[in-house]
Amino acid sequence: MTPSAPKGALKKRSGLSRFFRNNMGLVYILPWLIGFLIFKLYPFASSLVYSFSNFHLFKGITEWGVMNYVEAFTSKKITTALLTTIKYSIFTVPLKLVAALFIAYILNFKIKGVNFFRTAYYIPSILGGSVAIAVLWKALFRDEGLINGLLAMFGVQGPSWLSNPDYALFIICILRIWQFGSAMVIFLAALKGVPTELYEAATIDGAGKWRQFRSITLPMITPVVFYNLITQLVQAFQEFNGPYIITQGGPRNSTTLISLLVYNFGFKQNEFGMASALSWIMFIIVMVFTILAFVSQKYWVYYGDEEGK
Amino acid sequence: MKKFLALALSVCLTAAVVIGCGSTPAPAPSQAASAASTPAAASAAGLQPADGPVELSLSWWGGDARHEATQKAVDAFTTKYPNITVKTNYGAWTGWEDTMSTALYAGTAQDVDQVNWNWIFNYDNDGKTFVDLNTLSDYIDLTQFNEAALAQCTVNGRLTAIPVAMTGRIFYWNQTTFDEAGIATPTTFDELLAAGETFKTKLGEEYYPLAMNQLDRMIFMVWALECEYGKDWVVDGKLNYSQAEIEDGLALISQLEEAHVIPTMEKVLGDGAESFDKNPKWMEGKYAGIFEWDSSATKMQAALNEGQEFVVGEFLTGFGDYKGGFTKVSLGFSIAESAEYPVESAMLINFLLNEEEGVKLMASERGIPLSKVALQICTDNDLLNPIVAEANGKVLAWCEYNLDPTFEDAKLKSTDGVYYDVMDGLSYGDYDLAEAASILIEGIEATLAAA
Repeated sequence: MTPSAPKGALKKRSGLSRFFRNNMGLVYILPWLIGFLIFKLYPFASSLVYSFSNFHLFKGITEWGVMNYVEAFTSKKITTALLTTIKYSIFTVPLKLVAALFIAYILNFKIKGVNFFRTAYYIPSILGGSVAIAVLWKALFRDEGLINGLLAMFGVQGPSWLSNPDYALFIICILRIWQFGSAMVIFLAALKGVPTELYEAATIDGAGKWRQFRSITLPMITPVVFYNLITQLVQAFQEFNGPYIITQGGPRNSTTLISLLVYNFGFKQNEFGMASALSWIMFIIVMVFTILAFVSQKYWVYYGDEEGK
Repeated sequence: MKKFLALALSVCLTAAVVIGCGSTPAPAPSQAASAASTPAAASAAGLQPADGPVELSLSWWGGDARHEATQKAVDAFTTKYPNITVKTNYGAWTGWEDTMSTALYAGTAQDVDQVNWNWIFNYDNDGKTFVDLNTLSDYIDLTQFNEAALAQCTVNGRLTAIPVAMTGRIFYWNQTTFDEAGIATPTTFDELLAAGETFKTKLGEEYYPLAMNQLDRMIFMVWALECEYGKDWVVDGKLNYSQAEIEDGLALISQLEEAHVIPTMEKVLGDGAESFDKNPKWMEGKYAGIFEWDSSATKMQAALNEGQEFVVGEFLTGFGDYKGGFTKVSLGFSIAESAEYPVESAMLINFLLNEEEGVKLMASERGIPLSKVALQICTDNDLLNPIVAEANGKVLAWCEYNLDPTFEDAKLKSTDGVYYDVMDGLSYGDYDLAEAASILIEGIEATLAAA
C-alpha cells in the first residue's frame, strides 16, 4: 500500500495541472513573451518617456518637455531627413515589388535551370544588406569605378554618383531594389497557388498572357502583394547600412535617412532623448502608412474566403 | 473584428521592428556609476595586488602594426605576471568611439582603455567613469611624465588618463610627384599657390599638391588663423575669433580650391575612399600632399605605391607673423571605474609605457613616447620611426597654441556635424563666406555653451 498524499497537496497539484492544461498555449509562448516584454516592450515604452527629455548618456536628464519634437519639425537637417526617408521609401518599395513580381513570374515558367536562376536572384537579398556589399557598391560607383569605366568605353562621361547630391540617393535606392529576392520567393509561392483551371478556362475563352496576368494572376495574389507591401515599407523606413557605409548621409545630407540621424544622435552625440523622439516620429510615420495600406485594402485586395470582397 | 485584430497585430509588429532602431534603455548615470565604483574604491584604499588569478581586459583602436605590437607587449606582460591574463579587444577607429561611449556608460568597458584626449572631458566630467590615477601612483610611475602633459589629462583635479604621446598636424609631401612637376615641395604660402597651377599644367587636372577633407580644412583654417592673428581659437570657453576673421580663414580655403591647390569636396567624396590612406589618388601620387597628425606618418607612408618617396614638410610661412597650430595629447590609457582589479590594471599601463620590455615592443606605434624612460629606451635602441620622430620634432618646435577639448566634440566633427556642413557647404557653393562663418560660429558657441 502506497502512502497517500495529503488531501491539500493533491488539490493543489490538480489545480496547478489544470492551470497548465488550460493555459498550455500561454506556457509555450512564455519564453517569447518574456523576451518581448523585456527587450521590446520595455525599451519601446521607455523610449517614449525619454523622447520627452533631454536625456544625455553622460549628462543625464536636466529638462522635460516637447523640445525634441519641436526641434525635429523646425530643424532643417531633421525635416530634410524625414522627407528624404519618405522619398526613398516611395521610390524603392513599388520598384522593388515590381522587380520581384516580374522575376517571380518569369521563374514560375518551366524553364531549364530554373532552380539555378531562383537561387541566383535570391542571393542579393541575403548579401545585399551586408557591409561587404555596401563597400562593393561604393567601389562600383566611385568616380573611377567600374560603372564609370564601362560608360567611358561607350564614350560617355559618367557623373560623380557618390558626390553629386542629385545622384547619391539614386545609388542607395538601387542597392535596395537589387535585394528583391525575399519578396520574389514569396511571390513565387503565391503564383504557384493560383489554380491552373482558371488559366485553362481563360485560354479557352481566348485570353492572352497579359490579359490572364491582369485578370487572374494579379487579383489572386493581391493578399501577398499586400503583405510584401507592408513588410517592404517597414524595412525601407528602417534602411541604415547603405547610407551609413556608402555615403554616410552625404553629400550635403542628400542621403541622410532618419535612421542615420537616430544613430548619430544616439551613438555619436549620446543624445538619447532626441534619438528616442526621432524613433517615435519614424514609428508614427510607418504606422500612418501601414494604416493607409490597411484602409485601402478593401478596394484592391481579394480574399477568396470573403465572398470576393 | 478580424480586421481590427489584424491591424492591431500589424501595428504591434511594426512597433517591435521600429523600436529596434530606437534608444537603449539604461539606468540613470548615477546608478550605473555608483554600482561600478565600489570595487575600484575598495582596491584603491587597499592598494594591494590580488593574491589569486586575475583577469584583465584591454581595449584600443589602431592599424595592424599597432595591434601586433600591443598584443606582443600584452603577451610579455602575462609572461611576467603568470597569475594575470589579459583579454584584448581592438579594431579600427571608424565607429570605435560609438561603441566605447556606450560601453563606458553601461559599465561594460574593458578595464584598461585607450582613450582619445577629449573622451576624458566628454565621458568623465562627473568623475564617475574613470579611476583617478593619482590613487595608483604606487603602480604607475607618474614622474616619467611632464607636468604639462599630466595637466592636460586632469579633470577637476582627477588624473583620468596617462598621456602616451603629444601630437599635432603637419604637412607631408609626395616628393616623387613634386619631382615630376619639376618643383620643390612648398615652404611658403606663395609656393603652395603656385604649385597648384604647375600641377594642373604639367601633370594634369587630376593632380593636386595638397588634399584635405572637411576636418583637415577646419584644422588647417584654425592653424592659418593662429598664424595670422596670434591667438588661441577658444579662450575661457569662448570663441576667440570674430565673424570677419573667420570669413578670412574660409576665404583662404576657397582660394586654395580655386587655385587648384586642393580638390573640391565633390572630387574628394567622388573618390569613394573612407580616408586618404585608402584613396587610390593618394597611393598613386595624384594627391601629392596632406595635412595630417604627426602620429599618422607611418600609415600615410605605407599607403603609397612602391617607388613614391614620402617626406615630412616644413610649416609653411607667409600666413602671418605667428607660429600657428596646436598640440594635444594624442591618446592615453585610462582605467574604467568598473575595473575589478585597478591595481593590476595600473601595472599593465606601467608595463606598456614605462617598463623596458613593454616599451621596446610598443616602440613608436602610438607616436613618440611622452614617458621619459620610454623615450630613452627607444632612442638608445634605435626604435623610433625616423619619419614620426622628425614630424613630431617639427610639430613640438613650431606649434604654440592650445586646443580646447570641445574642438573635437561630436556635434562639430562628426559627419553630420558643423565642420562638415560648413566645409561642404562652402565647397559645393551652398554657402557664401558670411553664411558659412555664421553657421560655424553659431555651432561652436552652442557646443561651448553646452560643455
